[in-house]
Amino acid sequence: MVAGNTEALVGIVIVSSFIVLALAVSISNLFGIQITPYDPIAQNVGPPLAPPSFGHLLGTDVHGRDLFSRVIVATPNDVAVGIIVVAVALAAGAMVGSIAALRGGFLDEALMRFTDVIFALPALVLAMSIGVALGPGVTNMMLALMIIWWPPYARLARGEALRVTHQNYIEAAKLSGLGTVKILFKHVLRNIVVTMVVYATLDIGTVILVYSGLSYLGLSVRPPQPDWGEMVSSYQDYLITAPWLPILPGSIIALGVIGFSLLGDGLRDMLEALK
Amino acid sequence: MTNLLRVENLSVCYESRGGRVTALDKVNVDIRSNELLAVVGESGCGKSTLALAIIGLLPNPPARVLNGEIEFKGTNLVQLQPARMREYRGTQIAMIFQEPLSSLNPVYKVGDQIAEAIIVKKSREDGHAVETEFMQKTHKVTLPSKVPKRPRSGKRISAELKQEIIASLKLVRIPDPEQVIDRYPFELSGGMRQRIMIAMALSQEPALLVADEPTTALDVTTQAQVLKLMRELMEKVKTSILLITHDLAVACQVADRVAVMYAGDVVEAANVFELFSKPLHPYTEGLLSCLPTGSKHKVDLRPIPGSVPDLRSPLVACKYASRCPHVMKKCTEKKPDLIEIREKHEVACYLHGEKNGTDTANN
Amino acid sequence: MEPILQTIDLSKYFPIQRGINPFSKAKKFVRAVDGVSVTIWKGTTIAVVGESGCGKTTLARAMALLTKPTAGDVIFNGKSIINGKTNLKQVYRDLQMIFQDPESSLDPNIRVGNSIGEPLEGLMGWSKAEVRGAVDKSLAAVGLPLDCVDRFPGQLSGGQKQRVAIARAISPQPKLVILDEPTSALDASVQAQILRLLLQLQKDYSLSYMLITHNIAVAEYLSDFMAVMYSGNLVEYGLTEEIMAKPRHPYTIALISSAPIANPWKRNLLQVEIRGEVPSAINPPPGCKFHPRCPYADGICSRQTPKLEEVSQGHFVACHFKEKTA
Repeated sequence: MVAGNTEALVGIVIVSSFIVLALAVSISNLFGIQITPYDPIAQNVGPPLAPPSFGHLLGTDVHGRDLFSRVIVATPNDVAVGIIVVAVALAAGAMVGSIAALRGGFLDEALMRFTDVIFALPALVLAMSIGVALGPGVTNMMLALMIIWWPPYARLARGEALRVTHQNYIEAAKLSGLGTVKILFKHVLRNIVVTMVVYATLDIGTVILVYSGLSYLGLSVRPPQPDWGEMVSSYQDYLITAPWLPILPGSIIALGVIGFSLLGDGLRDMLEALK
Repeated sequence: MTNLLRVENLSVCYESRGGRVTALDKVNVDIRSNELLAVVGESGCGKSTLALAIIGLLPNPPARVLNGEIEFKGTNLVQLQPARMREYRGTQIAMIFQEPLSSLNPVYKVGDQIAEAIIVKKSREDGHAVETEFMQKTHKVTLPSKVPKRPRSGKRISAELKQEIIASLKLVRIPDPEQVIDRYPFELSGGMRQRIMIAMALSQEPALLVADEPTTALDVTTQAQVLKLMRELMEKVKTSILLITHDLAVACQVADRVAVMYAGDVVEAANVFELFSKPLHPYTEGLLSCLPTGSKHKVDLRPIPGSVPDLRSPLVACKYASRCPHVMKKCTEKKPDLIEIREKHEVACYLHGEKNGTDTANN
Repeated sequence: MEPILQTIDLSKYFPIQRGINPFSKAKKFVRAVDGVSVTIWKGTTIAVVGESGCGKTTLARAMALLTKPTAGDVIFNGKSIINGKTNLKQVYRDLQMIFQDPESSLDPNIRVGNSIGEPLEGLMGWSKAEVRGAVDKSLAAVGLPLDCVDRFPGQLSGGQKQRVAIARAISPQPKLVILDEPTSALDASVQAQILRLLLQLQKDYSLSYMLITHNIAVAEYLSDFMAVMYSGNLVEYGLTEEIMAKPRHPYTIALISSAPIANPWKRNLLQVEIRGEVPSAINPPPGCKFHPRCPYADGICSRQTPKLEEVSQGHFVACHFKEKTA
């Protein structure tokens, strides 16, 4: 089934490479081992502004730092932010949406209007304000995104949960003496999780893009720590003279987004086929 | 009575990832002129597939006609090009479905939809002259193609056309037809919508009306009204009706002849009184003794043991063999043919007729 | 005979929201159930029959406390159960329900054994071993093989799923089972199997049944008593045998004569004369809700709603002109 779907296959390949890389970098950081050919923040490991070559696969920047090493080392940032933000948004949204659907009435109204309020806040602006308030950094940006990312999941969860709560097995569960919470965890969540995971997978790409944008604005890492978005920002002046500098990190971001999108599409197609 | 439509050795299958499902397995059935034939069977027996095959609406893929013919007024419908089949569909052979809400376009008023049916019929009679004239007057459009465009608003229907629409609504006993013309389908009840479908179908004066479970979604009292209406209109418009239903009781009430289907085969076909008083096929007998016809104290329901065989595995034997109380060795070797035992009473079973197995159906 | 459940003037109205203010009080209501008083006698089966919109399903759900009644009372096992103090778990040990659609009756992600054991876990607090034993017994009682326990609903047929739903409902050994159109979604041969099963279980477990159905043949077969509903009201009540032989309410007459009989010599359908359609539940006709369609309607019918009155021993009819159908 998967083999027949080339899109999904490509998506899986890209995503797993990113995840494996991110894990490899994080673990190596933990043990203080360097797995990249050069120290990513060390300057003058090669001639400055050198185009890609065998020695420096992606070239070097104005300070003579190896671009390839910098790009590799920055992987965990985007991947972690993408996956963690979506996971948290999924969990929070699922809870809010399914409780609203299961209980209905005033609680439903209250929860969904609260969701609407958060949804109405401009995402990027809010993230920036939180960034200014808390200070820059990967974790702070992750927090900022988590706060604003869950409303669509709440809406999605509520829609799916409404469909589920109209099924007779929910009534049967009530007749079995099960309370709202028990029904939620035993029946509702399991039956809505599939649709939500498909949406979530597609969404990871979007988070990566938004995070890169925040990083581009300088709200994430501080130089000389490498981060893809930040690299695009600090290298943009070299677009004509050393195009590999801004373009390659930007392409990696694009590749990440494409990978997750293809994976999400593939998952959705697989589910359609199963029905 | 002559044959209006003859289905001969029709085999249809559905190809899916799980395998090939044989929905119809060398099916033979006829419909005479001016008769109501009820095709009765349980889910999966192929009755809907038969209806769709006759009207040429089998979803292709995944459905495929493997072989066989459907002869209608001298033409084999199976071999027709889609464009030619369109000339039959809706004019000579009309169809109504189970769920009228999905047969009627929800965004157009009812009157406009009936108007379209009437215009199409007229245009086919006059060689499209009427339709072209109508479209030029109301829409200021010259039509290059033969496909009629839908009139956009009730106001543009001419008084003459309006009278015809009201007449067709009165024919199906819709109260206040002048009001109903301006209604949208969702504003009407299921029974009214189904009657409008019948009106639209019969406005074409078809030779054959195929009705696939037309009353299953309706209430009991509405069902009675609609069935009674269909029977009466049949006499008036001189059309034949092929009624697909899972409800043997409904068939008993309105049909002239009944064909019983099981797992893709027609197992018995006879005049309704014959079938009911002298059922020959063990499945028909089983089906009749399944029906609750009185209180539990008086009626002993004898359900048929077992279940329908998996249509994915190709079956050479009689498909009912695993559940039949009279099963013999030859039943598990080769499927019996449908042959005429008595006057106009056909059955596919080795219990009846020594010639079975060597003859093909003779009508 | 003693009653197992009684409803007294039970009503359920659904408010309709007009306008955008979510806090405004609704002015219009859908009167799904409008003052129904019915008694279910222990060990018997009562069939509540009617067409779509008559309120029979809402009545069943209100009785099972799946929806809160707007007015009236429900007395179960001698006690009123609609006040806030009712211990639902106690009630559900004796009152269970089976639904119409076997596809949505079982959670597709939960194994059959766990679904059947759900009432036992929730209501009885038994150990896993005890639950397993009871589940096996239930499976055997409904005629399913024991290896079904580990299967998922998707691997079963419609009839088998309905049997699982029945096994689940009887596992806590209830006294009353509400059957909401239990065989409407099933083929004729499967329906026969389920009906026989239901009869057998009733004998073996001394169950009382409330059968909701629009199928008169099934109602006649299975039930001892019949209650006919029209647009939220109970219009006729009595012994099934008596009502089938001599229906007295004009609607019941139309309903029974519309039910197709599997006998080509008795073509009742073609003789049926019934006009009109089921009325709106929001703006019902004044007085007797059936009067616009009734062949016997006259003056008082459009002004005053008729009350249920006894026409013969145990046979009640709500009609101003009952004598016309005698």
